[in-house]
Amino acid sequence: MAKRLLGGIRDRTAIAGVGYTSFSKDSGVSTLTLACEAILAALDDAGLTPDDVDGLATHRVGDSAPPSTVGPALGLPAPSWYLDQFGGGSVSHSVIAQAALAVAAGMADVVVCYRAINARSEFRMGRAANPAPEAAFQAPYGYVAPAQMYAMYARAHMTKYGTQPEHFGAIAVTERAAAAKNPRALMRTPITLDDYLASRWIAEPFRLLDCCLETDGACAVVVTTTERARDLPHPPVLITAAAFGGGSHPFDGPDMTVSAAAELSPRLYSMAGLGPADVDVAQIYDCFTYSVVVQFEDYGFCAKGEGGLYAASGSAVPYNTHGGFLSEGYVHGINHIAEAVSQLRGDAGDRQVPGAEVALSTAQPGYVLAATSALILRKDT
Amino acid sequence: MSDRDSAGWRSAVANGDFVIQQCSTCDTRRFPPREFCSVCHSRTWQWQPVEPTGTIESWIVDHTFAPGTTIVMVRLTNAPTCVMYGRWLAETAPSAGQTAHAVFTDDALIDWH
Repeated sequence: MAKRLLGGIRDRTAIAGVGYTSFSKDSGVSTLTLACEAILAALDDAGLTPDDVDGLATHRVGDSAPPSTVGPALGLPAPSWYLDQFGGGSVSHSVIAQAALAVAAGMADVVVCYRAINARSEFRMGRAANPAPEAAFQAPYGYVAPAQMYAMYARAHMTKYGTQPEHFGAIAVTERAAAAKNPRALMRTPITLDDYLASRWIAEPFRLLDCCLETDGACAVVVTTTERARDLPHPPVLITAAAFGGGSHPFDGPDMTVSAAAELSPRLYSMAGLGPADVDVAQIYDCFTYSVVVQFEDYGFCAKGEGGLYAASGSAVPYNTHGGFLSEGYVHGINHIAEAVSQLRGDAGDRQVPGAEVALSTAQPGYVLAATSALILRKDT
Repeated sequence: MSDRDSAGWRSAVANGDFVIQQCSTCDTRRFPPREFCSVCHSRTWQWQPVEPTGTIESWIVDHTFAPGTTIVMVRLTNAPTCVMYGRWLAETAPSAGQTAHAVFTDDALIDWH
């Protein structure tokens, strides 16, 4: 039986603005500069100014400017609430969840959540020492990078359920087609399944086009009370449910084809009072193609083992409508949330999902570090 | 690479012992080494020698970070909640469910064939 947590703040907070820097392979500037640019853009989008901000939140893995530096750099008047969470993609959505808690609890009124990274030009994933305790039993064998770890889990899924490279390829092709409609996306030239199959190996069974783009860039979202958001320029996007945690197996679970999202999703849906059938658009954490497969299963869009077939079926819920991390860019999770906001506002332009009212946005599903996080967002009706 | 939780295991491997932890209170076997039992929370444990074999759960062939290396994930035969990683040394490619045998390396690690 799923525990009912956070149900008390359902729809009490909202996202009132989103902001981006451009995405690139070399920003040429510091993560501090990226953070400031994205935050100012998000505040402008929300019809607010830095003077309105009383909370700042981010997550990072020692690779980016902390809130305690960003606040003074923007001359924020003594923010009353900071969150500087250690962690990668798995905590990306918990940052928003915690901001929502702070706002709902009255600790802050306007919290800007941001993530700024130079993930291509400065801090490449898998090239630095792995800080997790598991590394002592993995790194000496050359097993150091998320691409390898997800490839390992993908292989387990392939051998257990018959998932095929063509299923992974269909995800890469679908997301690239979405990116073609997104002016922000780094990779907009359409690809075919043959292009996917011909791309070079990174770590078998993963090819280059299974892997997200290492990106320089930043993104920010503004969280405030629903009441206040209703007085701001854009239609509020309500934070209907926000869950984090899951993952009772800190190293390797009994079944490598199940992610921590399977433990989290019942809680998330319970908080929202909604289920997968209610989701109109899904932004699914796509550090790799396989992470989409396993999450379609663990968030209940299809049966266990059928995630590849579902993703490639052409009748999946519209997903990663901005092109995802595979083709828009990789800002470690937050750009999924910003795209969900855009879809629910109805301002996604050529890539708009008609009539989208409920969005799911998810974090790294807990294969690398054992926790995950996710949001259900809803149009204010 | 070694830390305070892994050093004891590395020492055992250096001595040619293929061991995992076993809780002295509830007998739960665990790997990697952790001070507390996650089942009963006892802090009393001993090294338990187990058969140095397992089954291949998954594998990758790396082309980027350790080019040319096949890395396997092995579930231990006599401790099926325990998973170890290592390099695959056999001439032929691994397959799911195949039995793997531990190989002690010169630098106190475990590889497989």
